[in-house]
Amino acid sequence: MSDELSTPDELLYSRAHEWVRVEGDIVVIGITDFAQNSLHEITFVEVSEAGTVLETNAECGLVESMKASSEIYTPIAGEIVEVNPSLEDSPEVVNESPYDKGWLMKIKPSNLESDKAQLLDAKGYLEYVQSL
Amino acid sequence: MTDSLRRTHLYEWHKEHGDLVPFAGWEMPVRFTDIREEHKAVREAVGIFDTTNMNRFWISGPQAPEFLQTVTTNNVSKLEINGGQYTTCLNEQGGIHDDLMLYRVGENEYIWVTNADNGPKIHDHLKKTSKDFDVKVENRTKEVSMIAVQGPKALALLSKLAGKDVSEFPRFSANLVSLAGNDCYLCRTGYTGEAGAELLVLDTPFNDEGKKKAIAFWEEILKQGEEFGVKPCGLGARDSLRLEAGFVLYGHEIDEDTSPIEARISYAVKFKVDPHYLGYDTVWSHKKEKTIRKTRIGLIMIDRGIPRQHYPLLFEGKQIGEVTSGVMSPILKQGIALAYVKPNTVQIDDIVEVDIKGRFRKARVTSWPFYDKERYGETRIS
Repeated sequence: MSDELSTPDELLYSRAHEWVRVEGDIVVIGITDFAQNSLHEITFVEVSEAGTVLETNAECGLVESMKASSEIYTPIAGEIVEVNPSLEDSPEVVNESPYDKGWLMKIKPSNLESDKAQLLDAKGYLEYVQSL
Repeated sequence: MTDSLRRTHLYEWHKEHGDLVPFAGWEMPVRFTDIREEHKAVREAVGIFDTTNMNRFWISGPQAPEFLQTVTTNNVSKLEINGGQYTTCLNEQGGIHDDLMLYRVGENEYIWVTNADNGPKIHDHLKKTSKDFDVKVENRTKEVSMIAVQGPKALALLSKLAGKDVSEFPRFSANLVSLAGNDCYLCRTGYTGEAGAELLVLDTPFNDEGKKKAIAFWEEILKQGEEFGVKPCGLGARDSLRLEAGFVLYGHEIDEDTSPIEARISYAVKFKVDPHYLGYDTVWSHKKEKTIRKTRIGLIMIDRGIPRQHYPLLFEGKQIGEVTSGVMSPILKQGIALAYVKPNTVQIDDIVEVDIKGRFRKARVTSWPFYDKERYGETRIS
């Protein structure tokens, strides 16, 4: 776990500590470095299955660590098109690589511009986290 | 009266090497590296824990054994000098004030080691109940620090520190030993299921000199323990280890509304004792007339998920109880839990459902310890 918080510039962030990356007509979603560091030893990750249609901020999964249990809420409404297959056998990938190999799900957005407007940029998220 | 958290003698070391969290009014390390790695070190080698936040009372005087029998449920008269026993202290309704270790270290001298949470409550209880007895109750929590050394290599490490073989000391015994120049009561007990000891480190007053002495001792244990693979361990591993062993935790499996019979720690309860302890009649009724209101069970997850405290349990569609503690077992790599259910509802191998935040996940009713006793624990076949 790094001492300095990582908040890549190209991503958007929710106050529930999820990140969003737009890749063409789908978005990739995961949890932030701050979230994985707070949870620490992640032992279990569960995400709703591909095909599930979600509204903005709907609960769509659970991240469990040795000392904590945390729901995942989608910052982007739409249909889940893919869930990271590594999560079941290697949940620790979320600790090790929260923005890359530890992605949680890919969504085909139904309301992207409106949902993006609710999110923070890297600088805004860093300020938000520092205020907690 | 300050609201700030209390700190042990080893606080400065913990601050430098671990992640501190509030626990029972104390600032304690939850981990030093990774909870699972620390857990595995205890199961496979040796781990050390700072347990100074627990409370240590000295009870002495000509009426000490008689007094202690009125406030604890195990048979005090069976304790020989240097003997120890696991026991409980009850309220009038047979509920549990605390679980504790009681050691006899002299003719009429006993040490009561009790949970961090319950220090003030127990101290008040002892002061009140000892008034009519010729005994002295002293709270030596501050001047005696405490370190647990646990794991299959623990006794080898302790023998190295003592310069003699300490594995001869029987389980539950408490003997005065000098370890790396520190006088300690070496108590052959623990909260992990593995062999080892809990050290009551004498002459460590809570001042600069005492703190330096305690830190030096802790560091010496780590240095001498390197060849055995020693790891410093925090509260996270302490909890996952005791859960795998099936041990109760105050505030989860035991409390003022739970009897030791309901908690299935009957080995801490004896009836052929004199005088009868506070709560005797209720425990008698629970044990002999089966008037228990609930009973403790173990669960191992079949589906994915981690059961946690307060999650409801369902059997054949009806709620029968709730989880009291749960964790992902680092050894089994499966969720495990302790829970209470209504009596006569389920038995071993029944399948129940745990309501994990609205997701109903299957678990099998099982007993403890959760690990294979031939591979892990004090009774392992080495």
